[in-house]
Amino acid sequence: MANPVIMPRQGQSVEACIITAWHKKVGDTVSAGELLFSYETDKSAFDEKSPVSGTVLAILASDGDVVPCLDTVCIIGRAGEDISAFTGAPVAEAKEEEVVPEMPMAVSSLAQAPAHSARQEGDDILRISPRAKALALQTGVDMTRVAATGPHGRIIQRDIDAALDSGYHSTVADVEAYLAGEYKGNTAVTVTQGTALEVVKTQPDNTVYVSGTDFGLYEEAPMSGVRKAISRSMCASLTEMAQLTLNASFDATAVMEYRKHLKENAEILGLGKITLNDMVLYAVSRTLLGHPYINANLIGETFRLYHHANIGLAVDTDRGLLVPTLFGADTMTLSQIAAASKGAAERARSGQLSPDEMSGGSFTVTNLGSLGIESFTPVINPPQTAILGVCTITNRLRADGSVYPAMGLSLTFDHRAVDGAPAAKFLAELCTNLENFQMLLAK
Amino acid sequence: MPKNQYISPSDAFASGSLTFDKIPLCQYKKTLAQEKKLYTKADFMRIYRDMRIIREFETMLNDIKTKSAYNGVEYNNPGPAHLSIGQEASAVGQAYCLDINDFTFGSHRSHGEILAKGLSSIEKLTETELYDIMQEFLGGNILRVVEGKQEKQGDVKELAVDFLLYGALAEIFARTTGFNKGLGGSMHAFFIPFGIFPNNAIVGGAAPVALGAALYKRSNHKKGIVIANSGDGALGRGPVLEALNMASMDQIRKLWGMDGKYEDGGMPILFNVFNNFYGMGGQTRGETMGFDIAARLGAGFSPDMLHAEKVNGYDPLAVIDATQRKKELLLKGEGPAMLEVATYRVSGHSPSDSSTYRSEEEIEEWKAACPIAAYRKKMVEGGIATEEEFDAIESDIIKRITKICRMSIDEEISPRMDLDSQPDIISSIMFSNQSVPSMDPDREAEVLIPKEENPRIKQLAGKVRYAFDEKGDMLPKIKQFGLRDGIFEAILDKFYEDPTLIAYGEDNRDWGGAFAVYRGLTEAIPYHRFFNSPISEAAIVGSAVGYAMAGGRAIVELMYADFIGCAGDEIFNQLSKWQSMSAGILKMPVVVRVSVGSKYGAQHSQDWTALTAHIPGLKVCFPATPYDAKGLMCAALNGTDPVIFFESQRIYDIGEQFHEGGVPQGSYEIPFGEPDVKRVGTDVTILTIGAVLYRGLAAAQKLQEQYGISAEVIDARSIVPFNYEKVLESVKKTGRIIIVGDACDRNSVMRDMASNIAEMAFDYLDAPPVVFGSRNWITPAYEFEKYFFPQADGIIDVISQKILPIPGHVSTVNESEIEHIERNKQGL
Repeated sequence: MANPVIMPRQGQSVEACIITAWHKKVGDTVSAGELLFSYETDKSAFDEKSPVSGTVLAILASDGDVVPCLDTVCIIGRAGEDISAFTGAPVAEAKEEEVVPEMPMAVSSLAQAPAHSARQEGDDILRISPRAKALALQTGVDMTRVAATGPHGRIIQRDIDAALDSGYHSTVADVEAYLAGEYKGNTAVTVTQGTALEVVKTQPDNTVYVSGTDFGLYEEAPMSGVRKAISRSMCASLTEMAQLTLNASFDATAVMEYRKHLKENAEILGLGKITLNDMVLYAVSRTLLGHPYINANLIGETFRLYHHANIGLAVDTDRGLLVPTLFGADTMTLSQIAAASKGAAERARSGQLSPDEMSGGSFTVTNLGSLGIESFTPVINPPQTAILGVCTITNRLRADGSVYPAMGLSLTFDHRAVDGAPAAKFLAELCTNLENFQMLLAK
Repeated sequence: MPKNQYISPSDAFASGSLTFDKIPLCQYKKTLAQEKKLYTKADFMRIYRDMRIIREFETMLNDIKTKSAYNGVEYNNPGPAHLSIGQEASAVGQAYCLDINDFTFGSHRSHGEILAKGLSSIEKLTETELYDIMQEFLGGNILRVVEGKQEKQGDVKELAVDFLLYGALAEIFARTTGFNKGLGGSMHAFFIPFGIFPNNAIVGGAAPVALGAALYKRSNHKKGIVIANSGDGALGRGPVLEALNMASMDQIRKLWGMDGKYEDGGMPILFNVFNNFYGMGGQTRGETMGFDIAARLGAGFSPDMLHAEKVNGYDPLAVIDATQRKKELLLKGEGPAMLEVATYRVSGHSPSDSSTYRSEEEIEEWKAACPIAAYRKKMVEGGIATEEEFDAIESDIIKRITKICRMSIDEEISPRMDLDSQPDIISSIMFSNQSVPSMDPDREAEVLIPKEENPRIKQLAGKVRYAFDEKGDMLPKIKQFGLRDGIFEAILDKFYEDPTLIAYGEDNRDWGGAFAVYRGLTEAIPYHRFFNSPISEAAIVGSAVGYAMAGGRAIVELMYADFIGCAGDEIFNQLSKWQSMSAGILKMPVVVRVSVGSKYGAQHSQDWTALTAHIPGLKVCFPATPYDAKGLMCAALNGTDPVIFFESQRIYDIGEQFHEGGVPQGSYEIPFGEPDVKRVGTDVTILTIGAVLYRGLAAAQKLQEQYGISAEVIDARSIVPFNYEKVLESVKKTGRIIIVGDACDRNSVMRDMASNIAEMAFDYLDAPPVVFGSRNWITPAYEFEKYFFPQADGIIDVISQKILPIPGHVSTVNESEIEHIERNKQGL
């Protein structure tokens, strides 16, 4: 009996995941518990292990495919088993979104089919159709470097066409070397100044070929899943909302002194890791509850007014911006907030956040202060109604001529949800709370 | 079937008992005195001579086979030699009665029959006629070898005997100067100008063929009778029994005729059984059969018991007496008849026969009863001739056979075909490829009504000959001139043009054919040209072969392709081979219409194009549109080659969707072998065989609309011959091809085409040519057919899986390589 392997659902809010890598191919044997494939949600990456032992009979989604949760992604069973029962409708529904072709579409543009290297693992044969080979030799395309989209990773005509469309030609020397059987396909190629045709090597599977001198060199990189998610979310934010930003600053003397105090007494108090940002989060969590339309989501024409401050914490990671949520920050002590934000940031950077951790926020705090930004326009994380940007500290003069450290705050709010005055009041109250931080702690 | 023949329960249940007349057994008792009144001395002597010639001819062959030498002539003959030493009186007695209008069809062991009939014909033809025949035959090639090599010059009959013996022996030795240029050989030697029709390597194979020749005589009112010779072993074969039954069918005497004319009586055929008691080694009487006396079979086929009798085949005068009486019955219209000629083969079945199945005593006793020696003794004792006269004849014969043998092995005068210098010599005779609109242009066709009064023709006048109206909308099916109408028109026209054309099969008359192709023919064509056959596929096809050999044109129908097996030998060995085995002397204008079912399960839904396409010598087509069907039928009916004409029951009612202007009313030909591009495209070629064309077009439409892939759809139309040029041209353009058909995938025509295309277009291919046929299963019930026959969606699936992966396409069928490896492992 063949067994379908499904795309797991990672949290209630996740509808689909992106396959990032298959670790097995059709025909491979796999043991239960062996790594089968990797995938990512909008905000996080996961590895899936095989639930059963057997032969991979079919892989129904390729690298880069968006697969709805719970849909079958591959079938494991006895070699040669009939798997037609698993290859029907559900996958079709799942793929509907992608099926819509551009009309009219030339066959060469169909090369967006999953690409493989024409050299299979453990198989030294270059798989290429006679027609594609003839075309490659005739046009000078280096067939060893073309991404294959034919059956079994075979290079077919459209792959050569695609290579030609992207402007690539291999060097005459490459072709001659290939014909002489001396060409080393996937080894790095040295870029030589002054040659007519040059090759830039990136990854073996998405090598980009350009013609001309080195001034024209560039690399192409595909958008990662996270990047695509951010892109979609930010575009939606800016096109669907009426956003504007208020800038203010507060006298940071109190928070800085308090932090200095905690640091100096770190051995006694054990609170040396509390940062200025943690204190801002603390102040935000205490200020928000008095401003229900800022601590809110706007979904369609309905507000979701949160009873607690669930503060999104914008974390910069290699994979892109991730925003874990500190749920019930208003119920936490400063120390707890510090620990929670530190933990969330670490998990974000190591890609271990669960999708549920990255949703449900009622407000977001983002911090560019450490990078010296004096003021900016944060973009709201939909469907929230506001976001606070924390800026750097600059020295300012008081009326009496004395210097004080001023920390900038940039509040972007959705004018559909909140008017300017209430937003300004929130920002002012936040500034007051931060300037009187010890009093706030005592509340 | 005819309404005027009423079947009542009282008749059906009538009480009584069935009685049989007596079957005479060896009742010839004439004295020599009585015989002297019937035969001159010359007749008596000629009978002896003919028997002795046969004996010497076969003795020579036996010596050549067993000792590689005869009378000082050394030769090695690797070919077969199925000898009939001992049976000479049977053959000579039969032939004695026959004239040039009478045809004989040989058994499996028929050197004797051929020579006897030839010698008889030489006697009956005038010298002028004889010389003309010899001069015309194969451009005088055989005559040139033998002429001038006689002791007595100017004796045309003597020359003709040499001509006959040499033509037969050169044929046996595979010489180009043989009767069939050496392409027939020992088991297939014949000479039509002398009324000698083919003998047959297939035991009993000649019986239905001979019936067809008789049918030709009967339907075209020709003189003479036909003799179907067979051995006793052949009586176990279905086609022989089918031929006996079909020749006896009631309608010939009860229903055939036209306006009081052409009531010519029964089928003029004599089923002559040379009963030598063994079918090779199996003893028919006492072991492999239950009839005890072979003549008993006659009682099973007609109330007159086929006038069956048994005669002593070791007495040529007894055989003459019986055969003469049967011939008279046939000429009076009381055929068919059956004669058992009891005889014995003292030689082995072949030279390798060690007679393990019979005793030495038995053979010795029959040798002692030698018909030639006994006849000579009777003649000498009766004072007809002296021993010296007989000795002189014998010595002449030995000299003659030695001369003939020496000439036949002479590489100079009797060369073999030179396939080095003429490599296409056999290719050139596989088909005759002629256009002969009428096989008898001098005669008026016998029809019942003028063509324009035909009810079907009137009905068709109200139909639209193109499937779409002026706005491009498809007309209702009932308004469309369908595929069955196209076939009908071509056939009706030919019935009025070619007086020899006949058509028959199961349920053809009255019913109009199971699928109504022939509706309207019953009213137009008399019974003797258009009739219902018994359910006897072997006899149906076999008789068509004989009908064509005799000079006519026939259309026969197999109601379902699944019945091809029932006519296996007739299609695979008879219909396909006689043109080439005769070195192009015979023509075979026969169309076998074969209907391919779709809804009737495992034994009524098979596309067996591959079986017929596999056999060299058959033309095979499978049109899918009315225009193509009519045009190919016209071409088939104008041609002189055998055509297996496949028709699909899925589309008998389909209108013409491609040929602008619709189906022409007049006659036109679609050349055999030319595939047709039904939809132009650039990205992938879909080559379809038969009705699957419409699924291929649906797939092409979907590929374009959903995926922007442009598919070219080519309809094969013909299978043999097949011009690949158009397909290769398409493949060079698209680089990709899928071949689709309803036949089971394994060993199909599709596989053959894929292999050829891969070889011929390899460098242009972007993917291997892919085949998508039916599963190697039984055809399941109609409700499951989509799992069995290729469907439009499946075509797209296979293209995506094997040729051009289509992003976003989700397959519903699994045609992957691993799946095919596994299926093949299991024989699926």
